[in-house]
Amino acid sequence: MMRSIYSYLILTLAILFTSFNVAFSQEAVDSLAVQQGKEIFKTNCVSCHSIGKNALIGPGLEGVANKRKKEWLKKWINSSSDFIASGDPDAIAIYEEWNKVAMTSFYFEDEDFEALYAYLKNPPIQEDIVSADLTLAEDQGVRTSTKLMFIALFLLMLVYLLTSLKNKLKESLGQETETIPDTLLSQFNLFVSENRNVVFASFACLIVVLKFSFDTMIGVGVYSQYQPEQPIAFSHKVHAGENGVDCNYCHSSARKSKHSGIPSANVCMNCHTYINEGKITGTTEIAKIYDAVGFDPNTRSYIEGYEQKPIKWVRIHNLPDLSYFNHSQHVVAGKIECQTCHGPIEEMDVVYQHAELTMGWCVDCHRTTEVAMEGNEYYTELHDQLKEKYKGEKITVDKIGGIECAKCHY
Amino acid sequence: MNRLLILAFIALICSCSNPGPGYEFMPNMYRSPSLETYGQNNFFSDSLNARKPVEGTIARNYLSTFSYDASLQGYLDAGKNAVNPLENNEANLEEGKKLYSMFCKHCHGEFGAGGGSINHPIYSAVPHYNAGKLLRRANVPMNQLKSGHIFHAITYGLNAMGPHSSQLSEDERWKIVLYVQELQNYNAE
Repeated sequence: MMRSIYSYLILTLAILFTSFNVAFSQEAVDSLAVQQGKEIFKTNCVSCHSIGKNALIGPGLEGVANKRKKEWLKKWINSSSDFIASGDPDAIAIYEEWNKVAMTSFYFEDEDFEALYAYLKNPPIQEDIVSADLTLAEDQGVRTSTKLMFIALFLLMLVYLLTSLKNKLKESLGQETETIPDTLLSQFNLFVSENRNVVFASFACLIVVLKFSFDTMIGVGVYSQYQPEQPIAFSHKVHAGENGVDCNYCHSSARKSKHSGIPSANVCMNCHTYINEGKITGTTEIAKIYDAVGFDPNTRSYIEGYEQKPIKWVRIHNLPDLSYFNHSQHVVAGKIECQTCHGPIEEMDVVYQHAELTMGWCVDCHRTTEVAMEGNEYYTELHDQLKEKYKGEKITVDKIGGIECAKCHY
Repeated sequence: MNRLLILAFIALICSCSNPGPGYEFMPNMYRSPSLETYGQNNFFSDSLNARKPVEGTIARNYLSTFSYDASLQGYLDAGKNAVNPLENNEANLEEGKKLYSMFCKHCHGEFGAGGGSINHPIYSAVPHYNAGKLLRRANVPMNQLKSGHIFHAITYGLNAMGPHSSQLSEDERWKIVLYVQELQNYNAE
């Protein structure tokens, strides 16, 4: 009797366990298919379709698996053009609605199609939105001013520490303690009464005065570190740094003209027709481009008859009108990296002027930079003569007239 | 202690930096009365110094030899008829490669197989140039697209890709086409 109960128990347990196991593994298979489907979707579909409501090149695919039959979807995906030609009214309607552009044909293996279908049937509950990271990066390099600030803070802390120490000592001796303002006041009086210290004070004042007058004089015409706020909070760090877009992509005239070129808004729209949300500022800053060009991100079309507005970027680098500078000369013939003069642009959220752009700065560079002679057939003869003339010496820019007055001032 | 105080004061004062653009000595030599390209004025209603040329103006060396419009039909016709005017030689290919790395690489990847540096889902699924299976719009797979198709796509854009005619001259576009056609036969492995 005992034994049969025992076996019953085992049997029930076994049944329970297997059923649980079967259910569990069925679920596992399903989610595996969904997972696979997600991968397939990511590699084949996302450049034209979103899994949500948003229409991109093609319609958003939310609920498409409930709206269409599986067979219908299969036919459409395998060859939409054949399917349209076969006269299916739904297929024709979609073709008409989406400007008569047939979808690329995708011949998926049965297994892959099942997985894709499973994914369409079980879309993620919340679309993976690029997380809006609102903290503007602060690492723009510790400037000298910040360093000085820290030193000042450190010294103030030292005052505080020493005063409290003094108070502790006085306390232990049973004397009266002083508060910090008291200390400061008494110390100040003491300082004034002592002659030695007055000398020290005047010396300190002199330093301050000298520092200010020196700064003012040397700063005339020097914009370096100038970091104005721009009408659109465009981040070079996000574009050139994290996303690795080449400088020449937007500043495409740097190779061809005097100006590096401020990209016109149509260059922004090459990507931002479809990217409506930025990493740092969400939709607000990108919406300013749309406002300038008259683009409606909801319908993804340009508003007809819209009066476009120029985006008024604030100029940072400004050479005086009395000197001539040409970007293409430096970028193409000189093969100079943008960062040589503009600094770590790819790390700047807000651009500041890196170089001083003073004449001394230009001349220094022309004296030390070697002429890039490789692959420049146009000047072969000149280059040969130079090599002959400056045997064994470095041929720097100043040797080909790079510090002649009239090169830049005429 | 008092010296410490003074030092602190000095350091505090000297740490104030000037965030503005600085002073100019003789500004009239800095800023000439002539209008600079990116400046603004009170003269034109849109305030832009940079004026658009008269409609129909053709810049020197910019006479187009490519006469297909932005439509699907234009795309198909270009694929059928347009011919690359450039010779397929090493210099042109080298130039094409350079331009490709400036204008295409961040989405299409170094070898045209995707995986560029753009970190956004829409631009993560660009088709591979050497893909030979899926039929594209022109009814041929990616690796059989003709130079005209590619040139049309660069000029007017295609799907999520925008038009690049304002950034690249026709010559430069044909150079990129040469390099892209090289990548159609390239196998990354």
